[in-house]
Amino acid sequence: MSTEEIRTKVKKSIVKIANINFDDIPDNASYKDDLQLDSLTILEIAVDAEYQFQVKLSDDDLGVLRTVDDTVRMVQQYLSPVMAA
Amino acid sequence: MDRRIVITGIGVVTPIGIGCEMFWNNLLAGQSGIAPVQSFDTSEYNVHRGAEVKEFNAEDYILNLDAAHLGRASQFAIAAARLALADAGVEIGSLDRKRAGVSMGTTSGEPREVERFDDAYVSKKLDRIGPEFIQLYPCHVIAAHVASELQFAGVNTMIPTACAAGNYAIAHALDVMRAGRADLMLAGGSDAFSRITFTGFARLGAVAPEICQPFDRFRKGMIPGEGAGVLVLEPLDRARRRGARIYAEVAGYGLSCDAHHMTAAHPEGAGAERAMRQALADSRTNCEDVSYISAHGTGTATNDRLETIAVKRLFKDEAYRIPISSIKSMLGHTMGAASAIEAAVCALAVFSNRIPPTINLNDPDPECDLDYVANSARELPVNIAMNNAYAFGGNNASLILRKRELLN
Amino acid sequence: MITGAGVISPLGDSPARLHDSLGRGLSAIKPIKLFSTEGLGCPLGGEIADFDATKYLGQRNLRPLDRTSRLVASAAQLALADSGWSIEMRNVQEIGLVLGTMFCSLHTISEFDRRALEAGPAYASPMDFSNTVINAAAGQTAIAHNLRDVNTTISTGVTSGLEAISYATELIRSGRARALLAGGADELCFESFYGFDRAGLLCRSNVTAGDFPIPFDSRRNGSALGEGAALLMLEDVALARERGAKILGEVVGHGSSYDCSRGQDSVQAVEAIASAIRHAMSDAFLLPHEIDCLSASANGSRGGDQHEAEGVVAGLNGQTQKLPVTAIKSMLGETLGASGPMQAVSLLETMRDGVLPGIPQLHQVEDDFPLTMARSKNQEADVINGLINSIGFDGHCCSLILSRGEEN
Repeated sequence: MSTEEIRTKVKKSIVKIANINFDDIPDNASYKDDLQLDSLTILEIAVDAEYQFQVKLSDDDLGVLRTVDDTVRMVQQYLSPVMAA
Repeated sequence: MDRRIVITGIGVVTPIGIGCEMFWNNLLAGQSGIAPVQSFDTSEYNVHRGAEVKEFNAEDYILNLDAAHLGRASQFAIAAARLALADAGVEIGSLDRKRAGVSMGTTSGEPREVERFDDAYVSKKLDRIGPEFIQLYPCHVIAAHVASELQFAGVNTMIPTACAAGNYAIAHALDVMRAGRADLMLAGGSDAFSRITFTGFARLGAVAPEICQPFDRFRKGMIPGEGAGVLVLEPLDRARRRGARIYAEVAGYGLSCDAHHMTAAHPEGAGAERAMRQALADSRTNCEDVSYISAHGTGTATNDRLETIAVKRLFKDEAYRIPISSIKSMLGHTMGAASAIEAAVCALAVFSNRIPPTINLNDPDPECDLDYVANSARELPVNIAMNNAYAFGGNNASLILRKRELLN
Repeated sequence: MITGAGVISPLGDSPARLHDSLGRGLSAIKPIKLFSTEGLGCPLGGEIADFDATKYLGQRNLRPLDRTSRLVASAAQLALADSGWSIEMRNVQEIGLVLGTMFCSLHTISEFDRRALEAGPAYASPMDFSNTVINAAAGQTAIAHNLRDVNTTISTGVTSGLEAISYATELIRSGRARALLAGGADELCFESFYGFDRAGLLCRSNVTAGDFPIPFDSRRNGSALGEGAALLMLEDVALARERGAKILGEVVGHGSSYDCSRGQDSVQAVEAIASAIRHAMSDAFLLPHEIDCLSASANGSRGGDQHEAEGVVAGLNGQTQKLPVTAIKSMLGETLGASGPMQAVSLLETMRDGVLPGIPQLHQVEDDFPLTMARSKNQEADVINGLINSIGFDGHCCSLILSRGEEN
């Protein structure tokens, strides 16, 4: 799945949960500062993304999602085959 | 009508013991009731431990109603109610039943009933769910079943203000008695272990994997639990007339609402502070008179930090003097029962001049630098105890209990 | 003092519109569209068609609020506007909320649980979890309208809303609060509907929309479920006068009791109802002949309606021959937590215009039916003091007495 496709799906989660227009969500929007979302809404969006992409983020990884880009990158990481460090 | 209302009986069903004496001894000894969850399969979860009540035999306590036809929270509540009345030495047969009432709190009501409904629904076998669902599920049945078992025909209230419910229920009972609408009230809270609750807190990332360590630097969250606590409240003059043992006076309370966030407290602890302040004013207590605080102390990163802030804002320098313990370190979070059991603990503290520890407190968080009674129980004069509880939806409640010797 | 009211109902979203609909005998009971009733015995209910909370709450994000929360927050908006509490005034005086609800949202609780069952607990919705607690609607409404004073939820089945008004009244009488929104709400949802249907409490098929429920009628065979929210603004008299608020009426008395037989024993059931009425009368310092009308809880239940009729006669010492009676659940259905407050809103309107709604389709009663002034047509009634009953399916009884505002 391309980065753009992932980003679109994540933004659609935001539309559905936070009632913000798709076109008003900058690509690298910060959930708290740009979109003024509270912690529960941010978590709901993250869980919705997990559900859509059928991935399960660890609690630690969930905790560092501050922007739309963070979420897109994290989803990509979980979706691609794991490369052992 | 005597407006001084006292606690003459305590009944508890907890993960570390059933009945006041066993519970209190285990609590002072720092025993933990946290263990692997037994009541449902947690293999799909990231966390697996809870504080369940062990070896509870409902038939031992439920003598009139059919225990098999009651939900678990109702069973706990009836057991705690009977234990409390026995502890108070009350002859149920001699009561004017129309002036005896019940005020209870809960978070989930009878969750197993709705879980059963949902199991049937997803397996497309909904016809398994019969007429008993609506009779057993709604949360008011907890208070109703207690009243039906004991034939208490007076005031009957259920206040489901989640994790602060016990305090709300006790506060309401206090008001009912002060208004002269009852001669005796059973007040407390009950909650049964719930898959729904466990799932929710786990999904919020709020559940600790091993132990509950409130105020510790390495605390990782709360541990869901279950149980019930019930107090017998009577007017002082009636208690004296019948020679009852008086644990403590219910001296006052304060309630507030954060109106900020559904699952997170106000970032400056403002609502919590308001509830405490009101409780002090209501009971005409000064900060320097408070001997002990039973904290909400769930063990989550935010609660413990914000609770510390709120206590410091209100008590200022006195905050460093007052010992504060969280029994959730041992009982886990028993939800609607928590503040009722904690109120019982405050009554016992005031009565016996001993306070329980906060266990698992080995490396205090520098932001939680008050005296949290780390690891060992303590003996000291306890004249006035404050019981704090904070809930989802921003419901905050503080209760003040006072030594009977201070009653004029 | 009652200084305003807000109501969201299938028959109107203002007290005047609701009262007008009731006066015209319009029924809210229609085929349900909110969920499928296939396989159920009863296809009808009092649904608020096309309920759109943005009409009352503006374009803010309502996703965190479920249906019940939206009903309550909307009714709160209307009540605040109706009573003239501007934002500036509320910066000076905090307002609280006491909400009665039987279920809050059983639908949200079930959806949350079912999603976890079907997709796994990792995909449970955190936002839904925050709405699974029974004090969620009160919490959400407090956040939506910045209500930071006392915030309590009362859950005692059908009597929840009237109990909430009683609780709020006591808080104001004791000086603990000065201004409180008080009332109740419950939503129509498949899960609770199923429960009532399976318990045989709802009217069976072979009836068409508008033909039932018929409280007190000898042909009655069950209730219909409805939904809605109704909140009164209660204030202490000094505050109301200070800000020149209009006074719609006053809560002058309340009383409650519990039927330990949970409706199974007629003698106990009747006595519990009579008890609640007597407590309310004595609280109000009124004598039976001073009650000018009754808003009954009767909802078409075979046993319940008869118990209420006998209980009223007993509670008012037989002085009921000239007592005009209405039963608005005939048109709204049984709205559970909202029912008592809706009756209060309607009664205040009756006090204003002298019209007591009839009970549509009430054509025949049993020979010994004692309430001779329960009529199918509207009655003219000059009401200074009105009695409202809420009686539960399973034991709770609550009575409230309102007095007319001075200006009327």
